[in-house]
Amino acid sequence: MLVPLPLILFFALAAVFAPGLPRDLPVAVVNLDGSPLSRQVVRMVDAAADVEVVEQLTTLTEARQALVAQRAYAILMIPAEMEHDLLLGQRPEIVIFSNSQLLTAGGIVARSMRTSVATFSAGVSLRLLEAQGIGTDVAMDLLTPIPVQQSPLFNPSLDYIQFLLSSVMPTVMQIFICATAVLSFSREHHSSNGMARLLRLSGTPTRAILGKLLPYTIMGSLVMLIGDVVLFSFFGASFRGNIFVFFLNGFMFILACQALGAFLALLAKDTTNGLGMMGLLVAPSFGFAGVSFPRFGMTLFAQGWAAIIPLTPYLEVRTDQTLRGAPLEYSIPSLLWLLAQLVVFAGLLWIMTYKTMRATPAAEENGVPDLAAEPQATVNQTTDIQEGRA
Amino acid sequence: MSKLRSFFSDVLGALRRLLGDENARSTMIVGILIYSVLYPQPYVGEVLRDVPVVVIDQDNSSASRTFVREMDVTEWVDVTLSVSNMDVARDAFFRRDVYGVVVIPDGFEADILASRPSPVAAFGDGSYLLIYSNVVKAVATVAGTMGAQVNYARLTARGVDDGLARTLLSPVAVTSVSVFNPQGGYASYVVPAAFVLILQQTLMMGIGLLHAGRKLPSGRRMWATILAYLGLYLLWVMFTQMLLPFLYSIPRTGDLGTLLLLAVPFLCACIAMGFAIALAIPWREGVVFFLVVMGMPLFFLSGISWPVEMIPEYLHDLSLLVPSSSAISAFVAVDQMGATAHDIAGAIQTQVALAFGYTALAVGLARLTRKTRKQPI
Repeated sequence: MLVPLPLILFFALAAVFAPGLPRDLPVAVVNLDGSPLSRQVVRMVDAAADVEVVEQLTTLTEARQALVAQRAYAILMIPAEMEHDLLLGQRPEIVIFSNSQLLTAGGIVARSMRTSVATFSAGVSLRLLEAQGIGTDVAMDLLTPIPVQQSPLFNPSLDYIQFLLSSVMPTVMQIFICATAVLSFSREHHSSNGMARLLRLSGTPTRAILGKLLPYTIMGSLVMLIGDVVLFSFFGASFRGNIFVFFLNGFMFILACQALGAFLALLAKDTTNGLGMMGLLVAPSFGFAGVSFPRFGMTLFAQGWAAIIPLTPYLEVRTDQTLRGAPLEYSIPSLLWLLAQLVVFAGLLWIMTYKTMRATPAAEENGVPDLAAEPQATVNQTTDIQEGRA
Repeated sequence: MSKLRSFFSDVLGALRRLLGDENARSTMIVGILIYSVLYPQPYVGEVLRDVPVVVIDQDNSSASRTFVREMDVTEWVDVTLSVSNMDVARDAFFRRDVYGVVVIPDGFEADILASRPSPVAAFGDGSYLLIYSNVVKAVATVAGTMGAQVNYARLTARGVDDGLARTLLSPVAVTSVSVFNPQGGYASYVVPAAFVLILQQTLMMGIGLLHAGRKLPSGRRMWATILAYLGLYLLWVMFTQMLLPFLYSIPRTGDLGTLLLLAVPFLCACIAMGFAIALAIPWREGVVFFLVVMGMPLFFLSGISWPVEMIPEYLHDLSLLVPSSSAISAFVAVDQMGATAHDIAGAIQTQVALAFGYTALAVGLARLTRKTRKQPI
């Protein structure tokens, strides 16, 4: 159950994002002109890879309905008498209505349609300039006096596999790893004498923690490894960094998540409470980590919240070491940040384990009962009783 | 009459049990309240402004300085650094001090004056698409405006008259209108959708916490329990779909009748599925674990952040088995786009079918578990 579930989720997500770039997104056309030139505009819009004209409508009311029912992400409206006005030099107005409630799809089709219409306009312009007796070469230069060479660094095709899938996967893994850590620790913590038994078996808190978490560390690493192998080999995501740093980062990430989960399990009153606290902290972390909406655009509170989640530094180093191919020195601050999280969470976990172990009856057998921790033991026992299932 | 009264007291009893169970309370009440404060936090800025960029101005002419100034003025980017060579720019870039590099090459002004194309180069961070699009928008807009001025001057210098020059250069006017979310706000985009999923997950978790591995109430009590959950979550629908958008200044247009027409079958489907899960996984922690892990993948199957047309058909069909997959975009259509019942008829039908399907499954599972329980005796 524990290995297949994240793998199934990963393959499902991989299937979702497999196309990499959205293609042939449906749009509708309201062509009130119907002239050959207007049909040329429609053909040019349709010819773009990311857009497909699926409907020809006659009124804007119908067009609005197509947008609302999500049959189309945008509407291209060509006014009546477009060709006529164009030839008379009266600048007819072509309108693109795009659904920006669905930000990704709406944005992609709007951009593509704007480009297509601009290309059409430039073609007309060229012909008009030539008709004025301006040579083709000069006319071409006139059209784009300040051409912009755009290049998206690191992700030349603006591929969603590199952008989304490679950060969604670790987000799902973070929830998964934290949740398994909560479960594994809660089982001992919330069964009567569980921690005492753990202490007898392992002796020290450190050995107890390692014994509990290590199997899941190995399992988590295995799942992440499989996911990354698929990502970098099958999907051909680019890997430009240092493989050692990449793995170190992944390993620290897993440990930090585990320590966080286990700490929350010991802090919680019972297992479901622990899972709940974990969910609250970790489940919304995709937004906080700043993949879609960047961190520098967030409020201070959101930036602070993001700072305590292992995903945030992990994804920064991951991006540095895969897409960006940044030299090691640039990843060091984020690596240290992740290490700091690991140390803090592991420290808290150790203290909590130590306290809980001393508070259990086994500690009394060994000698001095810890009076300070006594009330906590009673609380634990009462919750155990409440927890007991019928 | 007395039957009705005792039914009503059963409903209250179910609610009291929910409030009395600490885990159910913290999931179905406190959790949603905390989420409604916490979840929108990353997005409350709505629109990304002032992406820091670095400029390498190799020309250092009045034209190039105008270009830089105009770019700085746009809301999309902020020119925070001006350096002389690419090495320094790259360093700032890798440090995440800046997210874009704009290069204005030597001879920029001279080329403009000589009527030659004078290109500029823009490098944005392709690993963050929203940031990249801001950088591109800023550079393209400034290049376009400046270019149009240059062109206009060139044509009029050739003796072409004023109005004709304008027509020659852009014979077609292109207007872009963003509908439903006019400012393209990020909170407006994510928050209404995410809370549909949050309601579904907490409702099913709560049912798991209250009923997994326990004997189900029978007969009239069962109906009272269902009605109690439905009533509570209808309040949450109002809260998350009407009050929250108001508090976060997210524009909404939906009407209450249509919202209810969708919300009731959606919640029924969730309740039925919740009971089916509680019966299938008779282990409370297991139910919570399963639902917590599933949340994020379910969001990506809803067609909000990734177009539903791009999801393989088998996966999309399979995902329809979960209420949220079709409900999220229907809720968004009603609330944010003013859809009528007719526009979302398909989604409503799916919810009704799921409600019946999971009820049948839950009844079947309940029979099965009762039988297996009896066997050992």
